[in-house]
Amino acid sequence: MTDDLKETIESLIFISQDPLTPDRIQSVLEDAAAEDIRRAIDELILSYDSPEHGIRIIQTGGGYIFATKPDHDRPVRRLLQIERKNRLSSAALETLCTVAYHQPVTLAEISALRGVDSTTALKTLLEKKLIRIVGRKKAPGNPLVYRTSEKFLQYFGLNSLDELPSEEEIAKILQEEKISEL
Amino acid sequence: MSAIETTEGYQVRLDIFEGPLDLLLFLIRKKKIEIHDIPIAAITRDYLGYLDRKEQINLDREAEFLFVAALLIYIKSQMLLPREKDLDEEGDPRQLLVDRLLEYQKVKAACSLLREKEDDQLQQWKRGFLPPLPGGDELDFTEVSLFDLAESFFVMMKRRAGEDFRVIKGKNVSLEEKMKEILASLEKDGPLDFKEYFERQESLEEALVSFFCLLDLINSRTVVAVQAEIFQTIKVWLRKASRRTHAHD
Repeated sequence: MTDDLKETIESLIFISQDPLTPDRIQSVLEDAAAEDIRRAIDELILSYDSPEHGIRIIQTGGGYIFATKPDHDRPVRRLLQIERKNRLSSAALETLCTVAYHQPVTLAEISALRGVDSTTALKTLLEKKLIRIVGRKKAPGNPLVYRTSEKFLQYFGLNSLDELPSEEEIAKILQEEKISEL
Repeated sequence: MSAIETTEGYQVRLDIFEGPLDLLLFLIRKKKIEIHDIPIAAITRDYLGYLDRKEQINLDREAEFLFVAALLIYIKSQMLLPREKDLDEEGDPRQLLVDRLLEYQKVKAACSLLREKEDDQLQQWKRGFLPPLPGGDELDFTEVSLFDLAESFFVMMKRRAGEDFRVIKGKNVSLEEKMKEILASLEKDGPLDFKEYFERQESLEEALVSFFCLLDLINSRTVVAVQAEIFQTIKVWLRKASRRTHAHD
């Protein structure tokens, strides 16, 4: 069984359109030891990192998925007929960031934190499925409560919310900005 | 929105700021002020300077800027009022604003870090990707509601009803066939222009059948009708998932 474990996992990841979690791999390959699976994945990642491959396996959203390497961005976009990158607008990104760091959070709280009405930005994020509604707050008006989604993690290449920029990283950025002003 | 000139001579427009807090942070940085000890009078003057140069106030957006202006003036008035106790004991009236600014500053910094991550990720293409409309740029397409569709349809049909109509009977169009036809055309030729498509239909009956097909396909989430902006042409698109199932058929 373990002879072709690496190749088996490779095919499983290849066929997955969403990041394939180790749990899912384990559920398919019941006989394989978790330790062996992890080692096989590590070996796979390493072998695809070599320059002879145009694609590689990345870890995102708590799972593994094949992705093209950044070097091939332009030809891939030409193939897909995408001229410009589809980045989030700055209002949408700021709103998303506010949700990420303050979740669970309501529209009124987001708007207060940003000092700007965030209805439209929130709607865009919902449509893009980067945030989701998780319920209602037990407060006057029972406002909807929002959280970031699985897709949010994948979108930024994060595996969990713990990988969001930390206090230290943020402090470093602020420090750098301060220095650059002097 | 009109351009605003700062005293330094370069132009800064109000609409480059995400909101009043963004503008305040900008002013604080520009004056190299310590955020914990903001000279409220000076910063309020600068802040109002930005608002003043606007000839008109667009209430939708600038109300938020005005709100913070009022807050600044309120804080200043609190600081000027004679008190029985020292300010230290009652708490600095600026504290609330400072807390908000610090929190906002953090979010802004996290934003710039996430933006880098976004750019990294956008260069790595994954499978399960839905190509946008050919020639479409990064516009956000919104899904068209059934009402929008129906309205466009009836407007078009009304226009046609006015034309000199000669109906030649003989061709019965079945819903099933039409549906296959639409799907085949979507697979082969890509997105379909709603208006163009219906103008091509030979008879009112055929157009009606096509329209029902389309509604059915949208309902079953096989296709999606999108529009870049209101009043622009509606396009019909095959959903990614269905493309996959069809490939398997």
